[in-house]
Amino acid sequence: MSHMPRWSDRFSVVAATGAVLLVTLAFRGWLHVTNPTIAALSYLLIVLLTATVSRVRAAVVTCVAADLCLNFFFMPPVRTFTIADPQNLVAFFVFVAVSVIASTLSSAVRARALEVAARRDELARLFDLSRDVLLTTDSAEAMTQLARFVARRFDLEFAAICRPIAGGWDIRHAGSADLVLDPHALTAAFAGAERTLEFDAHARAYAGHGTLSIDGRTVRIVPLRLGARPVGLLAAAGRDVEPGTLDALAGVVAIAIERAQFLEERKAAELARQSEELKSALLASIGHDLRTPLTAIRVAASNLQAAWLAESERQEQIELILAEVERLRRLFQNILEMARLDAGAVAPDVRWVHPSEIVEAARDQVELALRHHPVQLSVDADALVRLDPLVTAAALAHVLENAAQYSPPGTPIAVRAHVSPDGLELHVRDHGPGIAEADLPRLFDRFYRGTESRRRVAGTGMGLSIARGMLAAEQGRIWAENCDGHGAQFTMVVPAERKTSSAVEQTS
Amino acid sequence: MTKTARVLLVDDEVSIQRAVGPLLRSRGYDVEVANTGAEALKIVEARPPDLMVLDLGLPDLEGTEVCRRVRAQSALPIIVLSARGAEADKVDALELGADDYVTKPFGPDELVARIRVALRRVASEDIAPGGRLSVGDLTIDYNRHRLLRGDEEIRLTPKEFDLLALLARNPDRVLTHRVILKAIWGPNAVNAPEHLWVLMGQLRKKVEPDPSKPRYLLSEPWVGYRFSLDPAE
Repeated sequence: MSHMPRWSDRFSVVAATGAVLLVTLAFRGWLHVTNPTIAALSYLLIVLLTATVSRVRAAVVTCVAADLCLNFFFMPPVRTFTIADPQNLVAFFVFVAVSVIASTLSSAVRARALEVAARRDELARLFDLSRDVLLTTDSAEAMTQLARFVARRFDLEFAAICRPIAGGWDIRHAGSADLVLDPHALTAAFAGAERTLEFDAHARAYAGHGTLSIDGRTVRIVPLRLGARPVGLLAAAGRDVEPGTLDALAGVVAIAIERAQFLEERKAAELARQSEELKSALLASIGHDLRTPLTAIRVAASNLQAAWLAESERQEQIELILAEVERLRRLFQNILEMARLDAGAVAPDVRWVHPSEIVEAARDQVELALRHHPVQLSVDADALVRLDPLVTAAALAHVLENAAQYSPPGTPIAVRAHVSPDGLELHVRDHGPGIAEADLPRLFDRFYRGTESRRRVAGTGMGLSIARGMLAAEQGRIWAENCDGHGAQFTMVVPAERKTSSAVEQTS
Repeated sequence: MTKTARVLLVDDEVSIQRAVGPLLRSRGYDVEVANTGAEALKIVEARPPDLMVLDLGLPDLEGTEVCRRVRAQSALPIIVLSARGAEADKVDALELGADDYVTKPFGPDELVARIRVALRRVASEDIAPGGRLSVGDLTIDYNRHRLLRGDEEIRLTPKEFDLLALLARNPDRVLTHRVILKAIWGPNAVNAPEHLWVLMGQLRKKVEPDPSKPRYLLSEPWVGYRFSLDPAE
């Protein structure tokens, strides 16, 4: 905007003066028009045209040129700059006044139109920005994203959102220019914004606005205010933006900052609520899972104490106690593993291992749960993998236990381990009822229990979530699918280096 | 006892079945086991047991629902197994017709004692006519609204006698606060348990040899009161 008019001013002055001379030449040389009124009207037309396409300055220059020509060529005595007849003198001054006033008016209308167009342009930019703001997320990136939106929507070479933080400034900037803002200057500007609040209509000054000069560039500093309170500063460079627009822009940015903060807080509250829910679910689940084994153990122990049981019955009561103690042990192990996962205390300890070792360790851990199911193992013969065998086996044990719990006694459970380019793949296939479609998405959620099985099968809803947590600690994945026919298959993939080893024999 | 009492144990937990079954058999009861509410209802209809031990957490039906359906066709005593903290479930079950409850984890003696008391109550109801009840040194004369300790009359207000009579007519059964409040003060009083606490305090002062250690009018914390026929308790 600042370059174009200077050129177009000069151009219109030249063009208009040329037009004046051309009209003079035409009237005097070829058309032999001598009537000063006709000449004056023609000149006025040129002056008005100049005023509508250019600024007042160009119109005035044109006006002076036209006056001189009118006086010299048309006002008697012709070819002098004197005017003999007082009537002609009045006419001359009226011409001057009309051309000046008309050009001023027309130029003012034009300037207003330009300003309106500029306003409309800036409003459109603000509107686009406010729409962008709704896209900001509650991530740490939100501020940078916001700065990027400001730079893009307002064609700025540099836009920065600066927020005071403990002991300095959090500055997120965007745009093609990479300017370094001086924290002390920001602090001073911020202090100024805190002191003065109001728009000074008299001085047409917006409180707290200022400029910094960095690397020879002018950087505009605008306070970001929520209500009257400044929450930060906006720095902009590269394009001249109206102070009023800058202020409105800063308002939109301030609202966006508040929105991002609000989203962040809501997320924190949501997390707190979830953790609260988790705790009560844990208590309810553990409460139930403790009570039954404790009752059984207590009653069975006192049955043993009494002498009236037959030997076979005594044996049965002893087995019952051992089984229930094992159930309690497993419950406590689950709780401990979950606590370790929550505390982020599961750190993989990798070493070279043969897959069969993992599969057998897992099977042994849940031997009791598997006692009613034939287990078919198939393990890749000659590959070693490098991963944490303990964590992997613990995860597999939970999946095996789950398969045993949810499939009818006597049905086989197949475990297949093989080494692929992705790492170690473990498949557990059962012949139970499969997984209800509705349960699939939440299968690995903590304390989630299948809608159908919830009431039929004893379980805590911890096993699969622990398995997923442990695998995640190794960057592994787990998923479940229903098999054709019936039953479910769980697949675990643990990324691992591998090497073939023909020296290792299959041990299944 | 001429015939062995038959106890129906309704619990889906195999470990409970395996522990409680031998316990009850060793104490001389016939034990039948049901895994689900539906199975229990079928057995009650086909060969009514003398008593039912019912776990409230069943896989198919709510335990309270089983109570209600059994009550609709039979007066057999029901002892409910429930979790500590699940007082509301207990109250519901008692109001729907259960006689007593045992909280998991329970000890064997506790369960056996409750079963014995409930069976004895049924037996005594079969024999005793409604007019008088003698327990320990107390004699309750329902017809003349009098209470005697030995030969000496204990003067009770009408409300006190009503409360005593209500509990004593349901000996060894837990009556919930709400049931008692409704019976004595009417349906509007069910949410004003303070009436009951005050009246019970007065009644215990007159009836109990040692009001701080009641032997007849027993509290079931959070749930209700019970009139005990068993002086040993």
